[in-house]
Amino acid sequence: MIELAGIVKRFRDADREVPVLDGLSLSVADGEMVAVVGASGSGKSTLLYLVGGLDADFEGQARVAGRDLGTLSERERATFRGREVGFVFQSFNLLPHLTAMENVCLPAWFAEGPALRAEAPRRGAEALRRVGLLELAGQRPARLSGGQRQRVAIARALFAGPRLLLADEPTGNLDTRSGEEIIDLFGELSRGGMTVLVVTHEERVSRAAGRVLRLEAGRLA
Amino acid sequence: MRASALLTLAARNLRADGRGALLNGAAVAVGATALCLFLALGMGVGQAVRQLFPSEARLVEVVPSSVSLGPLLGGGQLDDAAVRRLAALPGVTAAWPRMNLRVPLAATRGPEGLALNYPPGFVLQIPAVGVEPGLLAGALAPGAAFADPGPEGAIPVVLSSRLLELYNKTIAPAWNVRRLPTGAALVGLELPVKVGFSIVPLKTEDRVYDARLKLSGLSDRVPVHMLALPLDVVRRLHREYGKADQGYSAVTLQAASAEEVPSVAAAVRRSGFAVDDADRALAERAGAAVGVATLALSFLALLMLAVAGLAIAQSLLASVRARAREIALLQAVGATRGDVRALVLAEAGLLGLGGGLLGSALARLCAAGVDRAALRLLPDFPFRPGSFVHFPPWLWAVGLGVAVLAAVVGAIGPAAAATRIDPARTLA
Ligand SMILES: Nc1ncnc2c1ncn2[C@@H]1O[C@H](COP(=O)(O)OP(=O)(O)O)[C@@H](O)[C@H]1O
Ligand SMILES: [Mg+2]
Repeated sequence: MIELAGIVKRFRDADREVPVLDGLSLSVADGEMVAVVGASGSGKSTLLYLVGGLDADFEGQARVAGRDLGTLSERERATFRGREVGFVFQSFNLLPHLTAMENVCLPAWFAEGPALRAEAPRRGAEALRRVGLLELAGQRPARLSGGQRQRVAIARALFAGPRLLLADEPTGNLDTRSGEEIIDLFGELSRGGMTVLVVTHEERVSRAAGRVLRLEAGRLA
Repeated sequence: MRASALLTLAARNLRADGRGALLNGAAVAVGATALCLFLALGMGVGQAVRQLFPSEARLVEVVPSSVSLGPLLGGGQLDDAAVRRLAALPGVTAAWPRMNLRVPLAATRGPEGLALNYPPGFVLQIPAVGVEPGLLAGALAPGAAFADPGPEGAIPVVLSSRLLELYNKTIAPAWNVRRLPTGAALVGLELPVKVGFSIVPLKTEDRVYDARLKLSGLSDRVPVHMLALPLDVVRRLHREYGKADQGYSAVTLQAASAEEVPSVAAAVRRSGFAVDDADRALAERAGAAVGVATLALSFLALLMLAVAGLAIAQSLLASVRARAREIALLQAVGATRGDVRALVLAEAGLLGLGGGLLGSALARLCAAGVDRAALRLLPDFPFRPGSFVHFPPWLWAVGLGVAVLAAVVGAIGPAAAATRIDPARTLA
């Protein structure tokens, strides 16, 4: 599912070039759940967004879900983000003026072709059922608890039917109990065949993963 | 991203910040109202001015030069040869000579068949001019012959259509006499006159006889203070009373188009004649004054719209900054940077559309109000226009178009700022 080799990612900071990822390699098989841990500022988020096609400015080889990320056009990368991967964030990033259902169906607005839009109600309901929140479909995020919000965000990531979930500190803003539920949900999805790459510094998240990699000095170990 | 999806999403974003959207929409609406209203007033008053000072754009009035160098330059008297020469000038499609009647003509009674309480003993001296039927084309009643009927027949005459308006709006109310029906209803009336009679005793001719005038039509091409008779009648009366031939008083030239009028006028002056453009100059000056005022006010309105555009630019920029996370998220779920730009522009476009629609509608209402107030408050003076505003359908399009343009141009900066958001950095 993920094949990275010789990845170098630099940020220009003032006049210095800081290499955050420095010759990084990573291989994740289909259906695997991999946790990436590391100190704050070690480049975990940078790695995740690079894999998800949000950042195209890097050196090295990156094949994700059968696509060579280095060769995609901007339009193709957008479609890739919308259909092939699902993002889950620490701060949920739900739109406050949309209902849970509308938030889940957000990717349909940008999908090429009418198919995803036509199927949006069915897919949205399906994704919300998957995370156990169908009965709250009409609620705005403000009316939901933190754990419920994160589950709506996971439903949004599942909406277009991707086979890769990318989660950046998904339990960072949650209490222990809600965090556990989210971790269980990832485990379930993984057992169902979903590939999960999760960035975390929490022990309990990495325990649920099949493999734990440490990001240090720009490389994984 | 499909246009319908784009607009729906943009509309939702606007609704999410309803108060800001309302404020910006109102700013655009005020500008659009001002623009449409000023243009409608400018065009309406312009039309009224043209009605007050009618000046046919294609006509050139040739008169004998006051400082005539005579035959030296080929100028001097306006005789038949001169008319032929003028008609042959490049760009001239017709030449109609006119000759003022130098035999006095007076009415001592009102027209027959018209219940007009004509003041007893009142003598109305009637200045008259002989013209060719071609000048009056279209103004003559169907079947009316505009030619000399001989000494016994009723002489066909054409009145200024403006005289009727002046009479009804000023003379009739002042003298407390009945107003005349407007338009064709008067045509066919006969007025008994005395040929050779003048209220100035010395000017009365030795022979005075009765004749009848028959109204054959109303025309704007007849001077307000004169009655137009067939040219042949004027020639006959001059012969009857032994008046020497002094040539024509004026020649009306018709140019092929309004654009050729200046070159025709120049050619006329080169041939040694003068051009009487007092009427045209007056009309042009009045028209120019209205035009300049309209232009200045429209410029002010455009300035207001530009300010509205700036307000939109400022608040959209703030909104884009506040929504950086949201915009980054849209990109994470499949939006391109182009989609993000289009979304911000669409939000502004909708603001402009709403404001423009509201503004144009308000302007239409204000215009109707101004019109009603003006018609109620202004007295019934001659040539009072039926309306002081002109609001053609395309003015709606102008109001809408300019409002949308101002808003979208204002959104260019914020849209660019939205595309510069780095989603990876913003979401991390
Ligand atoms: N756009 C950027 N410009 C400059 N430096 C950046 C940018 N994004 C991230 N960084 C730097 O890269 C490093 C890694 O960041 P990040 O991937 O967010 O770390 P982590 O997620 O492991 O905490 C940090 O030092 C951060 O300051
Ligand atoms: Mg991070």
